[in-house]
Amino acid sequence: MRRIPGVTVPARGGMAVLKPFDVHRHVPDGYVMTRWLASLPWWSPFLVLSVMAIWPQIPLAQGRYGTGEAFGALWRWMPFLIKSGFLFNVLISVLAMAIGTVAGAMLGLAQISLYRPVRVFAWFFTQLFRNSPWLVLLFIVLLAFPFEVTLFGASVRIPDWVKGVFGLSLPIMANISEVVRGAVLSVPSAQWEAAESLAFTRRQVLWQVILPQCYKRMLPPWMNWYAILAMATPLCSLLGIEELITLSRQAMEAEDNHPELLVPFFGFALLLFFIYCYPIARWTIHLERKFAVKL
Amino acid sequence: MTKYIRSAVSSIALLALSAGAATSAECTNEGWNKVMERGKVVVGVKADYKPWGYRDENGNLVGMEIDMAQDVANTLGVELELVPVQSSNRMQFLEQGRIDMMIATMSDRADRREIVGIPGPNYYTSGTNIMSPTALGFTQWEDLRGRKVCGKQGAFYNQIVEERYGVEIVAFTGNAEAKQALRDRKCVAWVYDDSSIGSDLASGNWDEFEMPLMSEDDNPWGLAVPLDEVNCIFGQFMSGMQYNWHRSGRLIELEAKWGIKPTEYLKIQGERHSDWLQ
Repeated sequence: MRRIPGVTVPARGGMAVLKPFDVHRHVPDGYVMTRWLASLPWWSPFLVLSVMAIWPQIPLAQGRYGTGEAFGALWRWMPFLIKSGFLFNVLISVLAMAIGTVAGAMLGLAQISLYRPVRVFAWFFTQLFRNSPWLVLLFIVLLAFPFEVTLFGASVRIPDWVKGVFGLSLPIMANISEVVRGAVLSVPSAQWEAAESLAFTRRQVLWQVILPQCYKRMLPPWMNWYAILAMATPLCSLLGIEELITLSRQAMEAEDNHPELLVPFFGFALLLFFIYCYPIARWTIHLERKFAVKL
Repeated sequence: MTKYIRSAVSSIALLALSAGAATSAECTNEGWNKVMERGKVVVGVKADYKPWGYRDENGNLVGMEIDMAQDVANTLGVELELVPVQSSNRMQFLEQGRIDMMIATMSDRADRREIVGIPGPNYYTSGTNIMSPTALGFTQWEDLRGRKVCGKQGAFYNQIVEERYGVEIVAFTGNAEAKQALRDRKCVAWVYDDSSIGSDLASGNWDEFEMPLMSEDDNPWGLAVPLDEVNCIFGQFMSGMQYNWHRSGRLIELEAKWGIKPTEYLKIQGERHSDWLQ
């Protein structure tokens, strides 16, 4: 048999060969949190909770106030915590998402404006709010805005939670702005050229040709941001807004602050957020795979 | 040129000074009038300080200070709205006008009187003490020097204890978290109000812990009205409320209702303000 290097025998030189490089595996795609959440098996928080429920009983068995009493207390407080606490978190997230989406869509379209000042202005605000810590934005909105505004002689009070909604909608606005900009730019430029050759105006091209193709590819990142926002609403508790975490603390106070209460109460909060965000995350990843551009 | 600037600056400063003097001398009674106009008094109370102000299982605010706030509203003949406040934001809420007044377990301190109006006589008092494991055998505050001590965010004595005894305060937002940290040996003691620690120890869940030191900084509590109204109708009215609470024994009655250990302070105040005809 003939010795053919590289075919019948290993190549002698050992020259490096550039193997196909999978870019998507090496670049974070903005779905890190959602992908992680969606990859968990559905029973994982239940497993964590049951382990935590059994664990502290062993060293602290001599204490008169045990885990049993703590879970009893949680059972009594559950309706209040869900109705006044968690549903309020959901309300905050829905409103912040609505405001953030509308404002973000406008900002995103401004980012692709033909006028340079508008483009620079939109780019600046997008980057400013996208790269600021959410908590800092919340504090600025809470402290900088008046608690009461006078409209036509009548004083209208702005409750803290409205400011919380507004504060959370700012980073959402900036991120949705990037989603919109990215989606518009991802449409092949041939579409623009084809529409222009048919004498469409720029506005017609955008509304009738480009944006209809964008909705589908904007949906997964939009849902991704909603899941992140929903999980960020407990930040509001640091501002004294009466959402799930604040009320959990107050409930523990009313139950005399036994340290045994911490695991059941905060574990319950974890469970509620998991039950809410998990289906969203699964569905987001499903849609993302379905709509992914096939090369 | 510099002369002109200097004189301009000094005249502006003078103007500002005289304006300040004028407003502090006359009573606008803005907050009081607002309460009367809307027929509702908004009182800031605690929602995380049992039994002074906390929530029942239906979410209603209850407690001794809520009863006091109800007394105020009844006397004014207006509706009562309760706004839960925290130690860290209660004075800001009053300053910004989010609440008309505050009854929120606040210790009456000189630096706080510069921010909010605290009319006398004080309605309650408490001291500072620690809860620590019996095994550590602390006998005096000096024993804590250089050690980690858990505390509650917003409590005025955190700084005092730090400066006076050189302890390192680890502050928590909630009491449950702080007490868990004490159990986990993340700190050697939990510094808090002596009355609260006393009721914890009495509950029987803290058998291996004790309150070993002498209470310090026995500090009267004050309710608060807006700063520029402390010498006007609002402040005078609240002084009258507190005086009559002491005189009629209402506070002692409420103390018993909410299961608070009877304090010497309320007894002394009751005697001091007693009606000489009875």
